[in-house]
Amino acid sequence: MANSSKSKSAAQKPAPQPSALERLGSRFTTILIGIAVILVVLEFILHRHGEYAFEDFPMFPAIYGFVAFLFIVQVGKWLRLVIMRSEEYYDD
Amino acid sequence: MTSMFLNITAWPPGLVMIIAAFALPFIPHLARQGWMLAAIALSAYGLTTGAGVHAVWEVLGFELILYRADKLTLPFAIVFHIAAALNVFYSWHDRKWNEHMASLSYAGAAIAAIHAGDLVTLFIWWEATAVTSVFLILAGGTSQSQPAAMRYLLFQVTSGVLLLAGAAILAATGTGIAFDKMSFGGADDFGVWLIFIAFGIKAAFPFLNGWLQDAYPEASATGTVALSAFTTKLAIYALARGFPGTDMLIWIGAAMTALPVFFAVIENDLRRVLAFSLNNQLGFMVVAVGIGSELAINGAVAHAFVHIIYKALLFMSMGAVLHQVGTIKASALGGLYRQMPFTMVCCIIGAMSISAFPLFSGFVAKSLTMSALGDTGIVFVYMVLLFASAGVLEHSGIKIPYFAFFAHDNKFETGEAPIGMRVAMGIAAALCIGIGVYPDPLYSILPYAIDYHPYDASHVTGQLQLLIFAMLAFVFLIRMKWYPPEIPSVVLNSDWFYRRLAPRLAAPLIGGIVALSRGLSQGIKDGRDNVINALENLMHNPITGPTVPGKAVMLQALLLSVILVLAYVVGA
Repeated sequence: MANSSKSKSAAQKPAPQPSALERLGSRFTTILIGIAVILVVLEFILHRHGEYAFEDFPMFPAIYGFVAFLFIVQVGKWLRLVIMRSEEYYDD
Repeated sequence: MTSMFLNITAWPPGLVMIIAAFALPFIPHLARQGWMLAAIALSAYGLTTGAGVHAVWEVLGFELILYRADKLTLPFAIVFHIAAALNVFYSWHDRKWNEHMASLSYAGAAIAAIHAGDLVTLFIWWEATAVTSVFLILAGGTSQSQPAAMRYLLFQVTSGVLLLAGAAILAATGTGIAFDKMSFGGADDFGVWLIFIAFGIKAAFPFLNGWLQDAYPEASATGTVALSAFTTKLAIYALARGFPGTDMLIWIGAAMTALPVFFAVIENDLRRVLAFSLNNQLGFMVVAVGIGSELAINGAVAHAFVHIIYKALLFMSMGAVLHQVGTIKASALGGLYRQMPFTMVCCIIGAMSISAFPLFSGFVAKSLTMSALGDTGIVFVYMVLLFASAGVLEHSGIKIPYFAFFAHDNKFETGEAPIGMRVAMGIAAALCIGIGVYPDPLYSILPYAIDYHPYDASHVTGQLQLLIFAMLAFVFLIRMKWYPPEIPSVVLNSDWFYRRLAPRLAAPLIGGIVALSRGLSQGIKDGRDNVINALENLMHNPITGPTVPGKAVMLQALLLSVILVLAYVVGA
């Protein structure tokens, strides 16, 4: 898995060699996608149920987690416009 | 009373730690660490006395219950002792006695507070935690740490004063000062409210939370670890004791879980990110206390127990980075996985625990609260807590380890933290995994008997779906370069109201008063000067014509007056 991702990223960007950190990043991404695929498969094998009925909707936690994450980051970006100040703000 | 002092197992746990702390300045460095561990062990031995009321002090007609133990105090007492011991290992390298004295007595005061059976005893230890812990913030030694410490102390002492005022009202209205479940709406309603707010300040309720994110990140590398464990969890204990099943807490707690999430995304100081995260975690516990069912109280207590350990682990890993690199700003860090691999692994174990990955301690505790919430039928709050779980993953699960150890390949010339720090992180990490894999010992010390199995297929796959797909969202944002970059900055929080708004509003008022008093005193001075000048004028300048000086006229007037008086006397 590690080797395939390494050769894949090398093939996409032939000019600069990917740094150790970038290689670590793509290895991590590959593993993450692997687990996600397993979870999707399990969703249709196991009968998963939650505390409330709406949680039994196929892939509900996955969708909720993905969307919630994007929402948090986006609101954070907007919030920066309102409540972010320079490091010296309280010093004067 | 005498027998109580002779028998150490009747001492309130924690007291021996406070007494031992006074000897620390006189003990040399390594022996000091041993002394502290011995004091903690002795205090823990006091817990073996078991449930019941073991020390009562009759004073001024009040019964002060110094040592009350039951099923609610035990789990808090155990984890407080663990945290105190971890702190001794973590600060092993520190050769000065000052911080050791503060953190040992602080832990002792918190442990003693847990065992207070009445509100006056609780007040005494409540304030003791404030005055001992403030030295840990002062030990930060930066230009920001001193004013932050004073703001912190102001809030903590205010909380104590409210508690005492509330206790006085309860005593006056006949409710009495025993520390048990309180209810709103009685004759003592105002007192109950005061106590509720006192607890709310220490539990960092929304808008009462500014001190937490303000002060904790300004403490020393070792001080923040101690701070993260005690004050806020003492407040959770107090809420679980005094206000279980108070509906209002469900909504307050839900707000606490959700709001800090957004602040944590954009905060640059990684220890401040953890302080926001701490606030979010307290929210889960407050919701559980608000539900108040047996399952929920178990959830709150279990969450507090595991939280103290994994939050300490996260603060320890960031403290290690601060100790080695000298900064904890995300914008200045990155790539430390090469220089500090052990710290990185421990940090990730803490991150996975707080994110509630299956097989880690957060999972076995948070499941209890979520199940209890499922029983209530309050869907909206359930959704908020689910959302906040994704938020925890964002700031504590990903942001902390990512920006410290990966992100950019900064070439820091440093190595692993001192051995004591690594030992403490190793023990905490082992506990996180141990409790996660085998939760039965934790479940066995919870307040209510429990037959709960967190590891069923639905729970595990549901939680993994939430976490893994949220992580995919992170990877997606990073790859698209949409993730907000780290910017050196401060993020305004509720402390803004008293650090900036209040001074700005008060400035014209205070300026006006100053101007008025200056004007008044100037006026008085001017008036006095005028009178003196007039007299001077009179004395030195000619009054009638160019030849007769003022002095002569004055003398003449004086002589004439004397003659006039004499004439009267003679005439009479």
